[in-house]
Amino acid sequence: MALKKEVIARLQGIVGEDRCKTSIAERYVYAFDGGIHREVPDVVVQPINTQEVAQIVKLANEFKFPVVPRGAGTALCGHSVPIDKGVVVDLQRMKKIKEICVEDLICVVEPGVVCDHLNAALKKYKFFIPGPASSEAATLGGMVACNASGDKALKYGATRDVVLGLEVVLPTGDIARCGARSVKGASGYQFEKFFVGSEGTLGIVTEITLKLVPLAAYRAGCVAAFGHIREAGQPVSDIIAVPILPSNMELMSATCIKAVNKATGLGLPEVDAILLIEVDGNNLEAVREELAKVTEVCKKNNAVSMDFSEDPKRLEELWKGRKQMIPSLSALRKEYATVMLADDMSVPISKVPEAVVRFQEVSDRYDIEIPAYGHAGDGNLHTKVLMDPTNPDHWRQADKAVQEIYDIVLELGGTVTGEHGIGITKTPYFRQERASLIAAMKAVKRALDPNNIMNPHKIQEWENGFITHLRYPVEVSQ
Amino acid sequence: MKGEYLKPWLNELITCTLCGYCKNVCPPFDEILWDGTSARGRNILAYGMLTGEIQADESVAQRIFECTMCGDCERRCPSKVKVPQIVRYSRAELVDMGLAFPGQIMLADNVMASGNIFGDQEVMLPKQAGEVRVFIGCQFLARPNKVKKYLKILEMIGIKPKVQEEICCGFPLVSLGFVHKFEEHKERLAKMLAKEPTITFCPTCTVFLKEEYGIPTRHFLQAVAEKLPADKVKKLEVTVTYHDPCDLARGAKVVEEPRRVLSAIGAEVKEMGKSKNTTRCCGGGGGILSSNEQLSAQLARNRVRQAMATGAKTIVTSCATCEQTLKKGAASLAEAGEGDMVVRDVADLVWDALRSAGA
Repeated sequence: MALKKEVIARLQGIVGEDRCKTSIAERYVYAFDGGIHREVPDVVVQPINTQEVAQIVKLANEFKFPVVPRGAGTALCGHSVPIDKGVVVDLQRMKKIKEICVEDLICVVEPGVVCDHLNAALKKYKFFIPGPASSEAATLGGMVACNASGDKALKYGATRDVVLGLEVVLPTGDIARCGARSVKGASGYQFEKFFVGSEGTLGIVTEITLKLVPLAAYRAGCVAAFGHIREAGQPVSDIIAVPILPSNMELMSATCIKAVNKATGLGLPEVDAILLIEVDGNNLEAVREELAKVTEVCKKNNAVSMDFSEDPKRLEELWKGRKQMIPSLSALRKEYATVMLADDMSVPISKVPEAVVRFQEVSDRYDIEIPAYGHAGDGNLHTKVLMDPTNPDHWRQADKAVQEIYDIVLELGGTVTGEHGIGITKTPYFRQERASLIAAMKAVKRALDPNNIMNPHKIQEWENGFITHLRYPVEVSQ
Repeated sequence: MKGEYLKPWLNELITCTLCGYCKNVCPPFDEILWDGTSARGRNILAYGMLTGEIQADESVAQRIFECTMCGDCERRCPSKVKVPQIVRYSRAELVDMGLAFPGQIMLADNVMASGNIFGDQEVMLPKQAGEVRVFIGCQFLARPNKVKKYLKILEMIGIKPKVQEEICCGFPLVSLGFVHKFEEHKERLAKMLAKEPTITFCPTCTVFLKEEYGIPTRHFLQAVAEKLPADKVKKLEVTVTYHDPCDLARGAKVVEEPRRVLSAIGAEVKEMGKSKNTTRCCGGGGGILSSNEQLSAQLARNRVRQAMATGAKTIVTSCATCEQTLKKGAASLAEAGEGDMVVRDVADLVWDALRSAGA
């Protein structure tokens, strides 16, 4: 749909001409996020406060056009792709850190604050907010929308765990406040948690109150190398059973190790699989003791080598290398790119070894490379499909392989996403997983958003497969 | 044919996962905050032009020409996508479509007519016989006193500079997208160059003469770092912060030599948060002066503020464009009462140290 001139004029009236763009450059760039889909919006607006956001949404109800909120555009499944065109609401100008109150263990931010920028501000108080691998670009608003998390979720939680309060512009344009500044709360339906992970389908978050997480004084880590990926899975469960809760516990398969070494020169051991494990705490001896126990478990599980470090610089390098896995994989082979399919799944921790081995079998069966890695400590795995995205046959093969991968995930008692969300790309498998809830979810969406304004066709609402609105120059007939 | 210049870059553009890590290091994005003006945004626009999904217009040209070509995106990119090259060829598409900015067309015409970016037919090249070829470059030719000082310093450290016929290295043409003009220009310059060791004054010439013409170049400060007689300089006992020019630090990978020189002449260097290979553009790169003067000025002020945060009162640098841009930024901040910052060329300090010692 193309928006009427009158609507554009009204939008310009709300945010001003400078922050309301209809030019081809602006519209085209906002057609993409970090996933595989693209669709060009009619207009992009950049509000700077809650009132402007509310007025935009009210206008959308008046003229019935879609509104798609967007943070940094780093989501991986088409969450912020305006699949039905309309208006993209870019929240990057709402980037104030409004308050840091360590006495209350909270901070209050606008949605456009970049996660790493917030953590840089929190560092001097010795606190942080656990973020995703994309924390140097991702905004807090986007993290809330996707319930994003990353390598520290095992010990420190996902975004939902640290959200205490939200200000939300509801799909009607009304402004609602949920949660509180208190660390605890049991008031009613706890919508402050409910909106987390709603991917912009139930409103636009305009202010976030977060619970601060203390930074540990000491960290120690190790890289444990294994001759077979099956052997790298078992110690994950065994370490947790000790019980030890590492601050990070990451698994990387052979292809991922190669990709990271090539991109960063980290010099990780090029074996079939490695575990990157870090423990932290405020007592150095206790941290060392935990690492010794971790080592013992890894050795019992046939680790072929162990490399230790207490040097914060080396540990940062390791985690930085791990965080840039997706683009590193993309540069591994000239003829292939990383395609964001089967990108994120979560299985029971004890099922990690089986899942990884079975993913490999799928990869072999379809003769396409599907490297596995992930936050093994919390069962959250990632795979990516390395393929030529301009080749329709590769898409057809990938389609079948991805289906099998998610069948395995569900059979093992897992879920189709641990931290990236659904968007469009994972909708077919999400509908499979939550079949008994689709009607209820649709009812919630209709109740809150009677005009279907907010980010339509996402999560449970998409009824087709993922091979749609592809951002690559390819036509795939099925 | 549309998309022709970008065609070889399709694979590179598909390799880009749109992860957005480049946004955090892109100086124009930091200021403008529209995704189109980030490195990732430019990749998307290039992709649209290449595939024909978009018909480029002024809005596309604005975003593509707002790139400072500082190259920090490529440094940060885990896939090592060559964004500055993609921008270069996107600009070539735009130039062919008649979407270049007037100031850029004038600059290209100047180079073609006079051999330098200023269109100065009277430019005095201080030709002299010597032992080591020196390539002076446009930005220096417009500043004869600076050239004299550089040549004299080389002599003082025992290098006999040889200055011969030269014209612009051609980077301004190619970086602004005037690809056809560059091919013609390159032929002219290639005839003036021999593949002999050459000392360059300008960081951009240092990189470009090596990459494009195969000339074994060394920047002036590399020569100074090697030959400066430590026992024949007066220690200046000053505190400065050093602004790494993008082309010198990320392009030529010369980061330690300027610091060695400064240390040898008794200048204590207080480092900015973004220094060495993570240096931040001064606002003078990529031709943005002609596409968005306000942006250039703002980036210059930002860089001077970063320098102020070190506590040093003097910024030194080793690029005539950076020096000029930072001086404007410092003057603008001084006028606004934000503080006084002196901007100098490292060579000026070397000159002081050598002269004071009577070398």
